[in-house]
Amino acid sequence: MDKFLTVTALRRVVQLTAFVFFVYGAMIFATFYTDDKLTQALPALSCAYDMKGGDYCALIPLQHQMDHRVSTLFTQNAGAMEAFMGTLITIGTVALLILILNKAFCGWLCPLGFFQETITMIGTKLGFTQLTSLSRETITKIRPIKWFIFLFLVLILPLLTGIGFLGHEWGNPYCSICPSRIMTTAMTGDMSQVYISQANGGYFALSLIADLLFGLMIALALFVRQPFCRICPILPMQTLFKKIGLLRLVKNGSSSCESCGNCIKACPMDIYEIQDQAENRNITHSDCTLCGRCVEFCPHDGVMSFKYGPLTLYSSSKERFKKRTKIDKWWKG
Amino acid sequence: MKKILFSLLLGVSLWGYGEGVLYWTPHGCDEGKTTASKHGGHGKGESAMFALMNSDANASAHLILPDLSEKALTFTLNTIMLPKPSMGGYYAMVAEVSTATRVQSAIRYLSLQGRPAKVSPTLLIALSKTALEIVPDPLHREHDRYTASKSYRFILMFQNKPLKNATVTLETHKTPIQNYMSDERGSFTITLPNDFTNVRVGRSENKPSEFLLSVHHNDNFTAYTSTFSMPYHINPNDFWQSQSWGIGAIFLGFLGGIFLYRRHKKQGVSRG
Repeated sequence: MDKFLTVTALRRVVQLTAFVFFVYGAMIFATFYTDDKLTQALPALSCAYDMKGGDYCALIPLQHQMDHRVSTLFTQNAGAMEAFMGTLITIGTVALLILILNKAFCGWLCPLGFFQETITMIGTKLGFTQLTSLSRETITKIRPIKWFIFLFLVLILPLLTGIGFLGHEWGNPYCSICPSRIMTTAMTGDMSQVYISQANGGYFALSLIADLLFGLMIALALFVRQPFCRICPILPMQTLFKKIGLLRLVKNGSSSCESCGNCIKACPMDIYEIQDQAENRNITHSDCTLCGRCVEFCPHDGVMSFKYGPLTLYSSSKERFKKRTKIDKWWKG
Repeated sequence: MKKILFSLLLGVSLWGYGEGVLYWTPHGCDEGKTTASKHGGHGKGESAMFALMNSDANASAHLILPDLSEKALTFTLNTIMLPKPSMGGYYAMVAEVSTATRVQSAIRYLSLQGRPAKVSPTLLIALSKTALEIVPDPLHREHDRYTASKSYRFILMFQNKPLKNATVTLETHKTPIQNYMSDERGSFTITLPNDFTNVRVGRSENKPSEFLLSVHHNDNFTAYTSTFSMPYHINPNDFWQSQSWGIGAIFLGFLGGIFLYRRHKKQGVSRG
């Protein structure tokens, strides 16, 4: 039994529990109505379209606020307070949540992240040849996409819709293409979110992108780790506050780190920067999901660690590395 | 004069619908719409005026606010004008007409925008409003709506206890009456009919229709009747959205991913 007691095993239990809560929570707890939701601004892709969900992500209120509130600055000469109050509440809630758990919302709580990891596990068992890591060039090309999605699909296009430059379909364009909308609703037996709309060109394009992206994500997850997470707009939003997060990844590799590259191989987001030398420094990268695999797979004592405020929660060690490698070999047969 | 004409038109359009039962219906006159737009909190084009159909001089009505406080509603003929919403959330409009042998009631819910009430809507729905009541289980969520071709569950309650084996009728303007029977827990599930005609492409291009649930129950020489009326909307998946094409597009995306897998397979190695 002891051999299964690892950070990854603990993470799987937390992920599964979070998945059940965020996808089916309203069936278990009295959280059906919006007013009953836990935060209404979760920094993880828990979807508001899922009528049985326990909470929903911050991106839907952000888009609606851009469309219906911030736009009134231009259309109705509304006061700044009136226009920004909702957005400030959402951003403030996100900041508070990031302060508590930082980017662990992605690696430990996000239903879509867990869904992709489950498909990767299935892919491994089905014998799909796994891509160890994406190349630096590919990663460099992919990274700006999430910022583009965040700026345009979450903020700018909904704002332009509210002002009247664009049609209603651009009021929440990110939700219209988000794979979590299709996944979470389908998981509750509601297939109404799988469709191609013929209402107009915009609706058609967004619905087509959503379905193609969902199918592509499933196929890619069979052999690439976390394919959608790499372009997820939750990451840029979290990045705005990651400095204040109490939970963080710290590297103290001044003397011991041999730049073996194990951490990069272990990292599902292919963050090459974690290999760089650092002396007792917070190395929580914008793309980091705080999954802890780099800590587990670091063979040196105390080089990588998870810290919460001044407390060290978990550190890398030779013994843990050996145990984790053994489990990995056992899992992959 | 204009209001009387509008009431006549409304009466003619509802001919046969909700016959003999007390129920709420929106009164889409200009006055109601203008008031709603001045109030804020209502959706675009909605009316703040409602008519209580088949009512008489004994009718009384009150509004239950999201914080569970109550406000009396005053009738002008058979219509009421909602006051400006002081907070956001679900409101329940409750009307009653009582005689020695007959108790009639009508309930309708509204979701209005405004400052949050910080009281769970679950409490408003669970609150006993009339002796006989059709309770939505649950009511559609805020920002959601009752939609054609979808199923919804309700619970029949009589004097705070589930009412089993009672017949509930579902009426819409274009579909014949359908009957449902409550089970041991007083629960029953309806499917709203897809009966929209002259459909135009686009959700906002089609006005909502109304559905009415009614139940009758006799107890201790008193006849109880209760209704639940709400708007329901067109389901885009019945008209301009294709689910089979959606599944096809997902499959196409999946094939794209498999194509990429085959392309990269030679470069890939099992993760170590």
